[in-house]
Amino acid sequence: METYYYSQFNHAVVRVALFDDVMNAAAIRSRIVQAARNLGVDGNTEREAVNFAFIDARLISSPLHLQTAIYQALLSEAQGQLRTKTVHSEILWALNPTNNITEAIRRYGVSDESTTLIVVRVDVSDTPDLQRRMCDVIQGCMVPFQALVKMTDWSIIKKHYKLDSESALKEVQGNLDRERSIIDNIVVSSVAMKNVMA
Amino acid sequence: MLSSSSSKPPTQQLLQSADLISQGAEAKVYKAYLRQVSTSGLVTDHGAVLEALEPVLLKYRFHKHYRHPSLDASLTRQRIAGEARALMRCMRSGVTVPGIRMVDVNEGVLGIEWIDGKSVRQLLPGGAELEDISELEEADEMDEIHENGTADPIADYGVSRDALMDMIGVEIAKMHLADIIHGDLTTSNMMLRKQTSDLVLIDFGLAYHSTLVEDKAVDLYVLERAFASTHPDSEPLFAGVLSAYEKRMRKHWLPIKKRLDDVRLRGRKRSMVG
Repeated sequence: METYYYSQFNHAVVRVALFDDVMNAAAIRSRIVQAARNLGVDGNTEREAVNFAFIDARLISSPLHLQTAIYQALLSEAQGQLRTKTVHSEILWALNPTNNITEAIRRYGVSDESTTLIVVRVDVSDTPDLQRRMCDVIQGCMVPFQALVKMTDWSIIKKHYKLDSESALKEVQGNLDRERSIIDNIVVSSVAMKNVMA
Repeated sequence: MLSSSSSKPPTQQLLQSADLISQGAEAKVYKAYLRQVSTSGLVTDHGAVLEALEPVLLKYRFHKHYRHPSLDASLTRQRIAGEARALMRCMRSGVTVPGIRMVDVNEGVLGIEWIDGKSVRQLLPGGAELEDISELEEADEMDEIHENGTADPIADYGVSRDALMDMIGVEIAKMHLADIIHGDLTTSNMMLRKQTSDLVLIDFGLAYHSTLVEDKAVDLYVLERAFASTHPDSEPLFAGVLSAYEKRMRKHWLPIKKRLDDVRLRGRKRSMVG
């Protein structure tokens, strides 16, 4: 599990964990949907149990990509300018190149077929037992964040960001490392500047 | 949750903890860190040793008190957005520029990738005079090197002076082929990256989109003047830039060359007479 500290955001603490071989993606997804519908005390406990951002790891090109989305989400929350209901869903929104919230959650959130997941939790201070609570929700194997490199699906990222015809990539055709580093650079920058993109 | 604090806005706090690198009339430039990680890697309490990795460069367009506040806010917003979009267009067109790391239009801050290296100005003869606060610290270092006899700072990067001119011409050509005009091409606005020896174009604060031959020719002319005024006997250097530019532009070169000759006769501004 990775931990990031942000002194400028009231000392916010952000926890990030990567899961491989996730078996219950469909169940997680329906649990989140149910929790959102469930009102009352039960609903609150259930919402707290799934109070994370669940992200499809295939669509994340690097740790910096995720960190940049987290940063812009924290910034929007601190300025009272969230476009979605929570800072967790805002991370998903920041990752998606368009302004469509449903599309962002469908593409970047947990889907029934997901087998690799990134789980993010934004907190004002250290919450005890977080690792156990993540593992309670996800049936899978928590792996070091460095394993992300093997999970990234570059062709979907290229498609979502419409990068196939860009001259930057044509120039480095055949050089996979160069191509990936260029894609990562464009994707990270797109997330960072999403607010002023149009 | 996080907005409940009564303290300063986060980006102002970030600037407060950042190191000032240089200051101009429009903006201040800082080196900062967006987040800290705990070095132990374990779940720790508040006594943990925190480390900041990956610096970013913050360009802070501060409030101009001589402007009406609402005009000031909207100009700042437009310029931040304009600079970010120009960087993105360059990136997508294969021009080497710094990546974007954060944008806060409310506070007027653009955060970009920190480039570890030196400006071309510092690497060429005549450009070594100190221009920024940060260079004061590096000055001692540089003196030592000169005493040791390694006269040419470019040699540290494994690049010859001619190769450097070539890289400059190629990057500008790629940018112009994408119809991006830099607006302020100088040897200070280009850097050589330490690890990879890439040439990186920086400061797109005055950049804009244009297909006009005139704008591209003026962009080159501005750089030619910058070479001539900063680096003594730099005619062969700039000729090297132009020849690499010519090769890369192919059929687009001839009209620009003709226009550049016109611009040299009349200067940057077009005569509005007649």
